[in-house]
Amino acid sequence: MKPLLKTLTETFSPSGYEDEIRKVITKEVKPLADEVRVDALGNLIVRKKPAKGAKDPKKIMIAAHMDEIGVMVTHVDSNGFVRFTGIGGVYPRNLPGGHVRFANGVSGVIGLEPTNQPAEIPPLSKMFIDVGASDKKNCPVKTGDVAGFERSFLDLGDKLVAKSMDDRIGCLVAIEALRALKSTPHDVYFVFTTQEEIGTRGAQTSAYGIDPDLGFSIDVTGWGDTPGQKDFEVALGKGPAIKIRDGGMLSDPRIVDWMIRTAEKGKLPYQREVLLGGTTDAHAMQLVRGGVPVGCISIPCRYVHTPAEMVDINDVTNAVKLIVAMLSNPVSI
Amino acid sequence: MTDILPFFKSIISVSGLSGYETPVATLIEQKWTPLVDELSRSKLGSLHGLKKGSVSVKGSRPSVLIATHMDAIGLMVTRIVDGFIYVTYIGGIDPRVLPGTPVIVHASKSGEELYGVVVMPHTNLLPEGEGTGAMSLKYLMIDTGLTAGEVSKRVSVGDVVAFNTEATEIAGGCVSGHSIDNRASVTALTVCLEELQSKSHLWDVWAVTSTQEETSLGGAQTSAFQIRPTIAIAVDVTFGKGTGVQGWEGHELGKGPTLGIGPTIHPFLHKQFKEVAEKVEIPFAVEPMPSHSSTDGDALQLTAEGVPTMVVSIPMRYMHTPVEMISIKDIQRTGRLLAEFVVSLEADFMTKIAWD
Repeated sequence: MKPLLKTLTETFSPSGYEDEIRKVITKEVKPLADEVRVDALGNLIVRKKPAKGAKDPKKIMIAAHMDEIGVMVTHVDSNGFVRFTGIGGVYPRNLPGGHVRFANGVSGVIGLEPTNQPAEIPPLSKMFIDVGASDKKNCPVKTGDVAGFERSFLDLGDKLVAKSMDDRIGCLVAIEALRALKSTPHDVYFVFTTQEEIGTRGAQTSAYGIDPDLGFSIDVTGWGDTPGQKDFEVALGKGPAIKIRDGGMLSDPRIVDWMIRTAEKGKLPYQREVLLGGTTDAHAMQLVRGGVPVGCISIPCRYVHTPAEMVDINDVTNAVKLIVAMLSNPVSI
Repeated sequence: MTDILPFFKSIISVSGLSGYETPVATLIEQKWTPLVDELSRSKLGSLHGLKKGSVSVKGSRPSVLIATHMDAIGLMVTRIVDGFIYVTYIGGIDPRVLPGTPVIVHASKSGEELYGVVVMPHTNLLPEGEGTGAMSLKYLMIDTGLTAGEVSKRVSVGDVVAFNTEATEIAGGCVSGHSIDNRASVTALTVCLEELQSKSHLWDVWAVTSTQEETSLGGAQTSAFQIRPTIAIAVDVTFGKGTGVQGWEGHELGKGPTLGIGPTIHPFLHKQFKEVAEKVEIPFAVEPMPSHSSTDGDALQLTAEGVPTMVVSIPMRYMHTPVEMISIKDIQRTGRLLAEFVVSLEADFMTKIAWD
């Protein structure tokens, strides 16, 4: 599992520019699926059909987003320094000294203008990317070019660190669940969505297209188990988190019940998640067409939206087991 | 006209928070069963009552969807420390009014409804400077009277907590209690359905009590997609004139509903409502809604290829507190006005809807 996670997390994929990661995931899922297609917004839709003779198969959509946060060039100044804005939730405090890589392979580092208040975090407008150019003419990037953050995968044993665990870890869980799911009574659609970080857009249109009976997302959630981190009862290593609410969605209580019943029956660890801010693809899925009962299985993740996002491998394997158990049996909702 | 007060008091005496509306939906279902031709729940739990119109047309009969949200604001458990329960909001709540509020904790482990009160720690236990004035939610706790061990056997993170202030009739024909936003409008819609029993109307009426208005407008959005009404009306509460609310944003209690005007609202529907109200002598005020209406109307209008939408509101004081206050007469008037509007819809109404 770790080598695949390394490949997934080190692949370039800012929102709206998911081509590279889609190729990587397509290669993995093709031998495992009954049907693979790409929709108009670039979502990768991977279908596993119900076993022959399955009674009352439910159309179930499972979304894991394959995009990541990044930056976009707003202009290049006469000395070749690149000004930029964020794609998705890019927090200035996480940037200084960071490495970025553009789609064309050019790398750069993030520099800061000098300031009289060194303790303060300057806004993005006071930062720039230095790609080693000496003027605008020889600068290898131009306005509108997109870059992702660069950081190599780090294996700390049970704890794993990478730049885009959000949400490659969800993609990994989906791939491994598909791999482990030998047969299902349901019509299952694993959707590797685009543009989640800028407003759950891929999930919105793919859910409209698929028109599922029910569904859930797989995404990262926050953590409450490092120094100074309070008031959030989710820790790494204590099992996947079953989302009850987040900043943008109230999970359908019937889906929460389904997840908890399955976890308890399989003696799998889980945590109950009440997240105050942020949301996932399930937020968009819930409100398409006449409405969809949805929930979310979260992987607890430290340092979300920094280049060093950390998860616990045991939460990942338990999430896979939980999803396989959920999809292996009939469900009435 | 039947006395609607007992029904109104019954539906503001149960919980039914956003996403967890079943306790109130059950009561409404019972009340509506004899009043409508068909009754069902949507995928997100909204209650759809269809009262069929009498016009026979080729294809489907024109329909008006009337949405009143039945969900209520409340609290949700975030953590439990030494038997004291800490919470976050579902919907928007002013924490200044919470200390002292009686609540019901819906304990998921035991299936019980536990009574509790919202309490605040003693000043000495708070960080410097936090002990005076209004207290932030992060310091407030719920005390159920149980020991720490008994609480953790019953209550989990994610359990919902509802207000439990009593529905009280007070002077001036007013009622005070929790969840009047928007069960007052559910009551008005019930009055409308009762009125329509003895009136003939050409259009189908979809009476909808929507879910999750306080968090996402999700119930109305998805119900409208499923039903695809010809026109839609959102009925909700608006700010009543009183402490802290003066000027054009507030409306007097006891002086009738307000008729919204602004970009959410189709001007022709506003005009029709005004004419009907004048004809049947129901007092009303015009309520400017210069941007959004902050009601289900915002979602109804933008469903599918768009739905001509109207917003009718009932003035209410102390919005989003456990002691909201409303005039019962305004509820009845709103119900009557809705019924009269439905009756006024002629078969060719849509041919008259035009932009000036």
